[in-house]
Amino acid sequence: MTTQINSEQIKTELTGIFRKIFDDPLLTLRDDMTAAEVEGWDSLSHITLIVSIERSFRIKLTLAEIQRLHDVGQLIRLIHQKVQ
Amino acid sequence: MNSDLRMQTDTSSNLDYCSLISEAKHAGADPTLAEIRIALLGDAATQQFVPLLKALLRRAGFNAVVYEGPFAGIELEVYDAESPLYRFRPDCVALLNASQALRIQYYARSGTAAEFLHGTVERMERIWSAIQARSTALILQSNFVLPLERLFGNYDHKVADSLYSVTAALNTQIAERSRSHAGVVVNDIEAVASWVGRRTWFDERLWFLAKTFCALDHLPLAAQNMVQIVLANRGRVVKCVILDLDNTLWGGVIGDDGVNGIKLSSHGDGEPFHLLQSFLRELSRRGILLAVCSKNDSNNAMEPFLNHPEMVLKLEHIAAFVANWDDKAQNIRRIRETLNIGFDSMVFLDDNPFERNLVRELLPGVVVPELPEDPSEYLAAIASLNLFETASFSAEDLKRTEMYRVEAERRQEQSSYATVEEFLNSLDMRITVEPWDDFHLPRVAQLIQRSNQFNLTTRRLSETQCRAMMQDATGWLPIYAKLTDRLGDHGLISVVACEVIGSDLAIRDWLMSCRVLARTVEQFLMAHVFDCARRLGLSRVTGEYVPTAKNAMVRDFFAQFGFQTISEESNGRTLWALSLEKFQPPATYIRQTQHADLAAIGS
Repeated sequence: MTTQINSEQIKTELTGIFRKIFDDPLLTLRDDMTAAEVEGWDSLSHITLIVSIERSFRIKLTLAEIQRLHDVGQLIRLIHQKVQ
Repeated sequence: MNSDLRMQTDTSSNLDYCSLISEAKHAGADPTLAEIRIALLGDAATQQFVPLLKALLRRAGFNAVVYEGPFAGIELEVYDAESPLYRFRPDCVALLNASQALRIQYYARSGTAAEFLHGTVERMERIWSAIQARSTALILQSNFVLPLERLFGNYDHKVADSLYSVTAALNTQIAERSRSHAGVVVNDIEAVASWVGRRTWFDERLWFLAKTFCALDHLPLAAQNMVQIVLANRGRVVKCVILDLDNTLWGGVIGDDGVNGIKLSSHGDGEPFHLLQSFLRELSRRGILLAVCSKNDSNNAMEPFLNHPEMVLKLEHIAAFVANWDDKAQNIRRIRETLNIGFDSMVFLDDNPFERNLVRELLPGVVVPELPEDPSEYLAAIASLNLFETASFSAEDLKRTEMYRVEAERRQEQSSYATVEEFLNSLDMRITVEPWDDFHLPRVAQLIQRSNQFNLTTRRLSETQCRAMMQDATGWLPIYAKLTDRLGDHGLISVVACEVIGSDLAIRDWLMSCRVLARTVEQFLMAHVFDCARRLGLSRVTGEYVPTAKNAMVRDFFAQFGFQTISEESNGRTLWALSLEKFQPPATYIRQTQHADLAAIGS
C-alpha cells in the first residue's frame, strides 16, 4: 500500500456509503451505533451495505466476519484490518 | 417498449443494483400508468426483487405492484383459495426456485436420484395446476442454474444421479412440461447466469446470510429477464427488423465493389455477414418481418439478393425493400406505412453511427442497438440484448412474411382499378366467423397481445384468461374472424368479445390486424354482432373506446355506425350505445363462408 488509510478516513468514506444506502444526507456514524438505531437497516439493506463496502474499499469479507459484526466500531476495525 | 429495450442497449450504467434501488425509492406513484400486479413466491429471498421490478417496469411505463409470499411457503399459498396470494389478484405469479435450495433437498433425499427428479418436477407441475385452478395469472417458472460442484467431473454426464445431471434433467423437464401448460412460461435464469458466468453469478455468502440467490450485481439482470417476459405478454414485442445493407448485411459497398466484390462467403472475411444473415433468416421464419433500408441505387441494392450465390437472405424474406438516397428516418416512415406497425416494434440495424444517431434522434420509438465496429461481433451484440422475446408462437407466424408480400401485390393491383369499391369486389373476400375454440385460442391470444392500432380497449388478455371467457357459456360471446381472398389467405385477423349485460350486448374487446384495414371486415362484423344481439332477444349494443398512444385510428369507430356517446370520462374513455332498431347495416364487400355458431351463448 502506498498510502495508509486511517480509521478517520474509513469513517468518512463509510459515512458516505451509509448516507447513500439509507438515503439520509445527515446521518453521522458513532462507534457504538447498531442496526436497530438506523431506520431502514434491515437484512436487505445490510447485504447492500456489505457489498457496497467491499466494492468501495476493494476488500472481501468472509461469512464469519459479516456474521460477527454488531456495531459500526467493529465494522470500521474490520475494514481497517482488511485494507492493511 | 423503447425505454426498456433501450435500457438493454446500455447495460452497464443502467442495470446497477444500487442505482435501481434508489430509483425505485424515489419514483412516486403515478396513477396515469397502467398497473402490473406481480406475486413473487420462492424458496429464495424475494425482497430484493421488489424494488428492482418496480424500477425496471417503471422505466417501461408501468406501475408494478408486487406481493411477496412467505419465504419458502409456495405450497401454503397456492393450495389455499383464500390465501393472500389470490386475494392480491396477481397478473403474474413468479415462482423463484433457487438451485441452492434444490441442492439442499437433493443432498437430503431419501429415495433414489431418479425419484427425487420425478418428485421435484411433479411438485412443480401440481403447483402450476393449483394456481391455474384459482387464478388466470401468467406463471413465470424459473429454471435452475447448473451447480458449480461436479461430483464426477466430466463423468457427471454419464451418471444420471449426480446433482449436475439431475439439475440439467430438471431444466429439460420444466421446459417440456411448460409446453403443455398454456400460461406457464420458463424464466430462463440458467441462461442469464451462464451469460454472466456461473463462477461470478453465485455468491454463496449472500445465500448463507439471507438466501439471496445470486450476487447482488447480477440481481438486476435476473429481474430484467422477468420484466422482459412480462412486457412481451403486454404486447411489447419486436415485429420487424430494418436492415442496412453495405457493411451490415455484407462486407463492402455494393455500388463500388460490385456483386462479385462484396464479402459474403461462408468462409473467410465474409463469414460474419453470412452468419448474421442466417440468424435473420431464422427470425423471418419465426414471423419477425425483415425490411431493407439502404442508401443505394435500387438496382444495385437488389442485385446481391437476386444474383449472389452465397446470399442467405432472398427477396422472399424481405417484407419491405427501400433503397434510395433519402434520409433513413424518412425511409423508415415509409416502411412503417407499408407494414402498418408501430415504430416501437421496430429494430434498426446499421453499422454507421451517423445513421443510428439520426434514427434515434428523429424516430425515438425505434430501437437502435449499438453495433460493435467489428462485424464478427455483430451477432453476439444483438443476441446479448434479447430483443426478440415473445409471448406466443403460432402457425400464423410462419406465414407472416408471405402474407405481407401478398398484401403488397394487392396494393399494386388496387391501383389498376378505377374505384376502391370495384377493387374490393374483385377480391372475392370470404370471411369465417366462429366462437373461440381450443385450436384457435393461441392465435386469438396472440392477436390480443400484439394489436395496438385497431384495438378499442387494448385489454391484454392472456391465453388463460381467454380460455376462461371461452368456457363461460352464459355471459360471453367471444368470436374470431378469418379472411381469405382471391390472392391468398389472411389467416385469423380479428377478435371481438361481447358480454351480455341485462338487455345489452356489451362489446368488451374489438381488435383487428392492420393488414386488413379498409377491407370492410369491421362493417361485416358489426352487422354480425347486431345479428347476434337480435337472436338473443336483446335491445341494444354498447361499446367502449379506451384511448392509448396508438389507437387513435379507431376513435370514431362507434360513431361511424351511428352509436351515440353515453358517457365520457376524464381519461378519454368513452361509452357508446345503439339500439337494434336504429342500426343500419353498413356496406361490406365480404361474404360469409360459414354461419357462426351461437351455441356458445344462451344455452
